[in-house]
Amino acid sequence: MTSRSPLSGAPLRTDGVSFSRGGRMLIDGIDCTVEAGSLTALVGPNGAGKSTLLHLIAAAEAPTAGAIELGGTDARSMRRRARARYTALVEQQADTDLDLSVLDVVLLGRTPHLSVLGGPDQADAEIARAALGRAGAEAFSERRFQELSGGERQRVLLARALAQKPTLLLMDEPTNHLDIHAQLHTLGLMRKLADDGIAILAALHDLPLAARYADQVIVVDHGRVVASGAPAEILTPELIQLVYGVRADVLAHPVDGSPLIAFSPLETDPTNRVVRRSGGDDVIVAASGPRGRR
Amino acid sequence: MPTLTGRPLAASAILLTALVVSGCSASAPSTAAEDTPSPAAGSAYPLTIDNCGTSVTFDEAPEDVLAIKSTSIEMMLALGLEDHLIGTAFSDGPLAAAWAGRGAEIPVISDKVPGQEATLELEPDLVYAGWESNVTADGAGDREVLASLGVNTFVSPSACQEPDYQPTPLTFDDVFAEIEQVGAIFDASDAAADLVTDLQGRLEAVTPDDRGLTALWFSSGSDTPFVGAGIGAPQMMMDAAGLTNIAEDVDETWSSLSWEAIVDANPDVIVLVDSAWSSAEKKIGMLETNPATAQLPAVVSGRYLIVPFPAGEAGVRNVEAVESLLAQLEAIDLP
Amino acid sequence: MTALTSDQPAIAPDTDRRGRSGARTGAWTVALIVALALSIVVSVTLGPAQISASEVWGSILSHLGIGESSLTTLRDGIIWQLRMPRVLAAAAVGAGLAICGAIMQAVLRNPLADPYLLGLSSGASFGAVLVIVLGFSIALPLAAFGGALGALALTLVMAGAIGRMTASRTILAGVAVSAALGALTSLVIFWSATGDTYREILGWLLGSLAGVTWPMAILALVAIVVVGGPLMLSAGALDAFAFGDRAAASLGVSVERTRWILLGATALLTGCLVAVSGSIGFIGLVVPHAVRLIVGARHRVLLPLSALTGAVVLIWADTLARTIFDPRELPVGVVTALIGAPLFGLLLLRSRRIS
Repeated sequence: MTSRSPLSGAPLRTDGVSFSRGGRMLIDGIDCTVEAGSLTALVGPNGAGKSTLLHLIAAAEAPTAGAIELGGTDARSMRRRARARYTALVEQQADTDLDLSVLDVVLLGRTPHLSVLGGPDQADAEIARAALGRAGAEAFSERRFQELSGGERQRVLLARALAQKPTLLLMDEPTNHLDIHAQLHTLGLMRKLADDGIAILAALHDLPLAARYADQVIVVDHGRVVASGAPAEILTPELIQLVYGVRADVLAHPVDGSPLIAFSPLETDPTNRVVRRSGGDDVIVAASGPRGRR
Repeated sequence: MPTLTGRPLAASAILLTALVVSGCSASAPSTAAEDTPSPAAGSAYPLTIDNCGTSVTFDEAPEDVLAIKSTSIEMMLALGLEDHLIGTAFSDGPLAAAWAGRGAEIPVISDKVPGQEATLELEPDLVYAGWESNVTADGAGDREVLASLGVNTFVSPSACQEPDYQPTPLTFDDVFAEIEQVGAIFDASDAAADLVTDLQGRLEAVTPDDRGLTALWFSSGSDTPFVGAGIGAPQMMMDAAGLTNIAEDVDETWSSLSWEAIVDANPDVIVLVDSAWSSAEKKIGMLETNPATAQLPAVVSGRYLIVPFPAGEAGVRNVEAVESLLAQLEAIDLP
Repeated sequence: MTALTSDQPAIAPDTDRRGRSGARTGAWTVALIVALALSIVVSVTLGPAQISASEVWGSILSHLGIGESSLTTLRDGIIWQLRMPRVLAAAAVGAGLAICGAIMQAVLRNPLADPYLLGLSSGASFGAVLVIVLGFSIALPLAAFGGALGALALTLVMAGAIGRMTASRTILAGVAVSAALGALTSLVIFWSATGDTYREILGWLLGSLAGVTWPMAILALVAIVVVGGPLMLSAGALDAFAFGDRAAASLGVSVERTRWILLGATALLTGCLVAVSGSIGFIGLVVPHAVRLIVGARHRVLLPLSALTGAVVLIWADTLARTIFDPRELPVGVVTALIGAPLFGLLLLRSRRIS
């Protein structure tokens, strides 16, 4: 079930968001927009700032400059609980020392909806169950969280996020450590959620998958947006060379024409020092607009 | 430990060995007793005694004595041995009037137990301790280490903690025996005999209270009172005074007791030990404010008997304490 | 004690398993409430003085305005002035320590956390020892309380002084402050303690309910209702901490503020408890783990049940302490340590946690 946000405006808009810690600038003026019902992939090399950006949007950190707008409202003016009802985060990895049942974990997602005095009730339990179903985690809903494998835990965490009934879903490397079947399952799930109306911003390390499934791709490097737009338009060999320092050919997928990225082995001797970046200059490739391809 | 004959020479030779061995050896009665030649006729020395499990040998009367705790200090003074004292420590209260003058000039080394170095700096030939814990490594020094350095140690026998040595129960005979033993050590047996005769006489002269009164010997503590129990000096003195100790069944010298047990026993009189850190007044205040004890008839009527702390442990002031208890009891109006 | 109960199961029974679990929680709640009531009723009849149960209850009822007591004033005093406040204080202190322990474990994400972690125990000890040695034992509760809060302030300042105040940094700061205050306490003891003050100090350091009077019992009860009650409401936030600060923030919890409030309130409650009884160990550490093993980690259930369990455990530990060596008394901290330490070992063995 979609929860249409009563707020107007795109689910997510960032305006010059910056974040520094310990004197280091991790995010440097990022502007981006995510529309409702779209699946936006956040890609870039390790350390580009993808996770940090997600944490900022999810209120785990506060930006040192710039603004984040959720559904047209400045996130700073939103109460924490209201913000948590709007945005949910699925982390890369979730560790807990407690011996919780899967249902307990998913019910945590109801936290921003609960009143201070009350606990989760029948309705909350049903929402949790529905979320488990949507995340494809029904099969192990009766088990203990600690007993699950990595992939299974991922699904439970997704269910937890869905239980929050978010308008904007943030996911941090949801396909990490999953085998190809699980990866495709997860992305298919994300696609479906987006089709149902949830705005999804997911950090993905896998470029080809991002190219195949996402409506919009935002490429970040060194804390800055390098390019953003439809995969077919911006995922060019030049961009890939620029950002990742590898050679690739981009072909059209035989089935649906989406960008198919074919990497070439590195030309230089792998034991040589490789300089991967070209100076860190801002190179903005013109975006053809935020509307994604369905 | 080998006999310390020809002390200065032997000491330095033994020192090295002792320092190596001192860490691991437990104090065990030595075989020295068999080795010691019996005293020559007319001389008390060398004198070897088994003191709380440690064998101590005296070749002559100690001249430079450090006395720790009031019982030791006052024992020396009562026997007229103030000239042998080079210092006192850890006194528990003012000296008894009888020898306060004699003791006034003696230097007070420390309020508490002095450390090993401070002790050795005095170059004593005897450390006379009122508690066994005074002569441990944390205090004036381990007994064997001190012995290896030529310093004898003597612990008041009534204060021995080991089951074989702790008097169970303590009696006046034990106290008198200690006086005689100290007299022998200092070649002052006549003075000791006189003192014992005097104390014995006074003890026999008193008439114990015959009203069958029960008593609590309240030593210290607030939340959990610390009281005189069944086998120590308090019991001994209460027996002599004709008082029944409510804690006499507890097989300790002193023990912590619950207030409930005390209130349940409802002692007729309460003996309060008066010390600087826990005065009789403070105890009275405590008894009166505690809502349970405030109702005790003994508290309501103020039936208190005061004993100064130094007289509360086994020593030369116990007989005087008994006399004082009886005098105070006469003032108490009970059937 | 109604503030401590949670009659509704956390989740309405939906599936069979869920239903069983919810009903099970309810059953445990009822059982513990009954156990607490029984514990109070029975332990008050036990003690060195031989007083029959009916006389005991006659006395108590007479104080509550029902009927007459058949006991002499003195023996009545034993029941009403000595045993009754002590049992009630044991209940309050046990409940409070258990709640504080559970909250500390959640907020600091550390299963070895106990109420005394952030310097509270060493601060209270320092304050207490200082007044015992100076001879102002009457000011002991105040000194213990002040010492506890002072130490906490020091810990939090240290933790926040360099960079962000994370859970592990806070714990480490607490360890440092505890070590420093412990050293100071030892110094004070060795420097100035005379004669029998050692005993008094030891009794306090081990934790003891001896000498608890009505004012102190009431202090403990008020503390647990006034501070402990609201603390129970933090159950939701505590659950949110299960996956760490980031997850809690994304679930709408203001992490820093919540942590400060919870730590502050816990310290306040612990300070009050320590002022009444000294630092009784193992209740705050072990009881939450035992309860978690039986009803799970949801704090809405864990907190009230831990409180009830802690109360029952301490009542019986104290009863043991004052009767087992009749007429002598052990400090109750000795009993809780003797029972708690092996129990903790047992819990570790039985724990289903993978790590």
